Amino acid sequence: MMEFIGPAIGHLFEPLNILLMVAGLTGGIIVGALPGLTATMGVALMVPATFAMDATSGLIMLGAIYAGAIYGGSNSACLICTPGTPSSVATTFDGWPLCQAGRADIGLITSLLSSVFGGIVGTVFLLFLAAPLARFALQFGGPENFWLCIFGLSTIAVMSSGNMVKGLLSGAMGLLVSTVGIDPNVGVPRFTFGYYPLVQGIEVIPAMIGLFSFSQVLYLIGSYKPFIADYKPAPGAFGEVVRALVGRCKVNLMRSSIIGTLVGMLPGAGGEIASIISYNEAKRWDKNPERYGTGVIEGVAASESANNAVIGGSLIPMLTLGIPGSAVAAVILGALLAKGIQPGFKVFTATGDLAYTFIMSQFAVNLLMIPIGLLLARIMTKLLSIRLTFVAIAIVVLSVIGSYAIRNSMLDVWIVIVFGFLGYFSGRVGLDTGAMALGIILGPMIEENLGKCVHLSKASGGSVINVFLESPIAILLIVLTLLSLATPFLLDWKRKRRDCGCDIAQPKENSTHA
Amino acid sequence: MKVRFLARLALAALLVLGLAVAGDAYAKYPEKPINMVIAFTAGGSSDVQARIMQKYWNKYSDQQWVFVYKPGAGGAIGFGEIANARPDGYTIGGINIPHLVLQPMVQKAMFSIDSYAYICQVVNDPQAVVVRNDSKFTSVKDIFEFAKANPGKLKVGLVGPNSGHHLMFLDVKGKFDFPVTEVFYKGAADQNAALLGGEIDVMFGNLNDVMRSLEEMTVLGLAAEKRNAFLPDVTTLREQGFDVVSDIRRAYVAPKGIDKAQLDYLRETFKKICDDPEYIADMKKAGQPTEYMDGDAFAAYVRTQNDFARNMLQKAGLLK
Repeated sequence: MMEFIGPAIGHLFEPLNILLMVAGLTGGIIVGALPGLTATMGVALMVPATFAMDATSGLIMLGAIYAGAIYGGSNSACLICTPGTPSSVATTFDGWPLCQAGRADIGLITSLLSSVFGGIVGTVFLLFLAAPLARFALQFGGPENFWLCIFGLSTIAVMSSGNMVKGLLSGAMGLLVSTVGIDPNVGVPRFTFGYYPLVQGIEVIPAMIGLFSFSQVLYLIGSYKPFIADYKPAPGAFGEVVRALVGRCKVNLMRSSIIGTLVGMLPGAGGEIASIISYNEAKRWDKNPERYGTGVIEGVAASESANNAVIGGSLIPMLTLGIPGSAVAAVILGALLAKGIQPGFKVFTATGDLAYTFIMSQFAVNLLMIPIGLLLARIMTKLLSIRLTFVAIAIVVLSVIGSYAIRNSMLDVWIVIVFGFLGYFSGRVGLDTGAMALGIILGPMIEENLGKCVHLSKASGGSVINVFLESPIAILLIVLTLLSLATPFLLDWKRKRRDCGCDIAQPKENSTHA
Repeated sequence: MKVRFLARLALAALLVLGLAVAGDAYAKYPEKPINMVIAFTAGGSSDVQARIMQKYWNKYSDQQWVFVYKPGAGGAIGFGEIANARPDGYTIGGINIPHLVLQPMVQKAMFSIDSYAYICQVVNDPQAVVVRNDSKFTSVKDIFEFAKANPGKLKVGLVGPNSGHHLMFLDVKGKFDFPVTEVFYKGAADQNAALLGGEIDVMFGNLNDVMRSLEEMTVLGLAAEKRNAFLPDVTTLREQGFDVVSDIRRAYVAPKGIDKAQLDYLRETFKKICDDPEYIADMKKAGQPTEYMDGDAFAAYVRTQNDFARNMLQKAGLLK
């Protein structure tokens, strides 16, 4: 390993590679920030360009776009409450309130620095622990993934602790939407109402563009405000964020980055699940969980560090086993294979030069992201000084183009519009679009993995329960799910106890007397 | 403004007319870029294969391909797109067998096997019977014997349902006593992960997908007529006494009704590409097993596969 790292760092200083990293990052951040253009699409679009480069430079460029796009998604999440990529749904929860309070700068700088931190943690795992972690990721099969998704779904309970019934109802609506299309287990079309294009199902991204950005436009227009939000940048924002991150957020950052790496390694689950789980864990372990959702640095930090840590995690099984950990890693794998490079544990010895140059480039990319990200963030906050009417038009145009571009289908444009109105009106009656999105994202995975468990149960005595109980990881996830479901009650109890601390103390005294 | 626009329009019309008069239009085909419909996502193995072809297409033709990705429903959306495109020679696309014969049977797809003019077949990717390196099975016979001795205990992973893997599984079940538990996966990546993680004991997988994780897996047999150049030591199922042949073919098609001269041009150019030794070397590097078959032969092959698949699904009670 060490014999490769020196030359690998050398390769990074080649002018072409520096150029590719800077260009890839810039392009990636912009693609990520535009609602509808996702990381997967940005990377896939550039794959043909790699055919004209040597394999190493091509990989460096794709890696830079990937990192840039996942960070870029937070920009629109903070500024217009629209996740630029599905991975930044959870960033909107606190990033948008920060923007509304005039502190968009805090939100953006937190996103940037947390993304960099998460990205570096993920890459450290990739560099030092790729082989054992790849083995661990293989332990996740049908039952484990099923319970991981259920655990993810249980976060609705924490997310919407204000009104749990409406939260659950929203989640259920999302799950229902996700059943449109071909049944993954039997192969029969469902809920297509005789309209053939619906067999491909309701794609997650257009549904989210509708729920978040299109409905946001409707909301903003209805608000009669001249601008999206007041923007009151403060000179010491950067220092303020750094102090918060190295101070009260350091455990949160580390935990979220580790969750991101682990979830990233799993073939089924990606950044969208990692960021929501991390957000939720950050809230659960915080002393004052009720602050979350009002615009706290911790919330943005948890979501953004997790989704960038996913990158390193998703590359682990891709490089070592040829099994991509995310949709983007699958595209990068395609580029590798087209170059005739076979993944496998050998990749670190036989093609060590390439593998380590790629890994080291991820460190470089994350460090380069700080200046490039700061510069772009400064430009993007100008958005807040453009009149709302123009911004609204631009968002609608981008939403339509972006959703059409995903699979060149008009159906997706209609999905954006329908879900836009759905999101707007359900927001009006207090339903939770975040929970709905979670249902749409997790629904297909839950169904597919439950199907596997049912199939597998034939070999374990006919009961799905047996399949669940045979797996220690699944049992652990079941326990975590139960804990997660109990959290709102625990939080409630904690709050009550704090509000009247004396009441708790008194019975204690009484008991000593008795 | 308006006058200027009309003048331009007239000029353009004159130019076009001039071109049409000047020479035989078909001699010039293609005179503009050709849309290449890919029914899977960018960066997938269908896309990678088409991109390699494109490199050599540019060697023999001065018009580019414009890639149009229409993924969804296991290829059915893109296949329908080709079928319903104008047959003017400027929309062609890649298709896969057996996907193309199965989808009209099970999901009322917007095409049938008669919707196309077949250009040629480029890839024959055989199914393989694969186990982990540390598996106790060392031959296909071992697997069948274990399955028979322990009904329902052996877990076999397939991509599916209603896929090439599923067809092979039904074929095997129809011909032999094979009481196993089948598990469906969404794609080859999930299936490979499940085999390596021990969730399944055996999988039926395409050679192209298996090649990615060959360090960890052993191919026990190939469901092909003859051995494959990628793994010359691996015997076919027939050699081991099991008469099963199953594969996934990639081919290129144009919508039905395309002009004969245009189809001939496409067929000739694709043949030139498939004979190019550099193309063959590139395909090998990418792990794609090449096998050329001309358009007419392939159309006949599609028909036999159609009957075979209908028969299989009917026997299994999967067709209403």
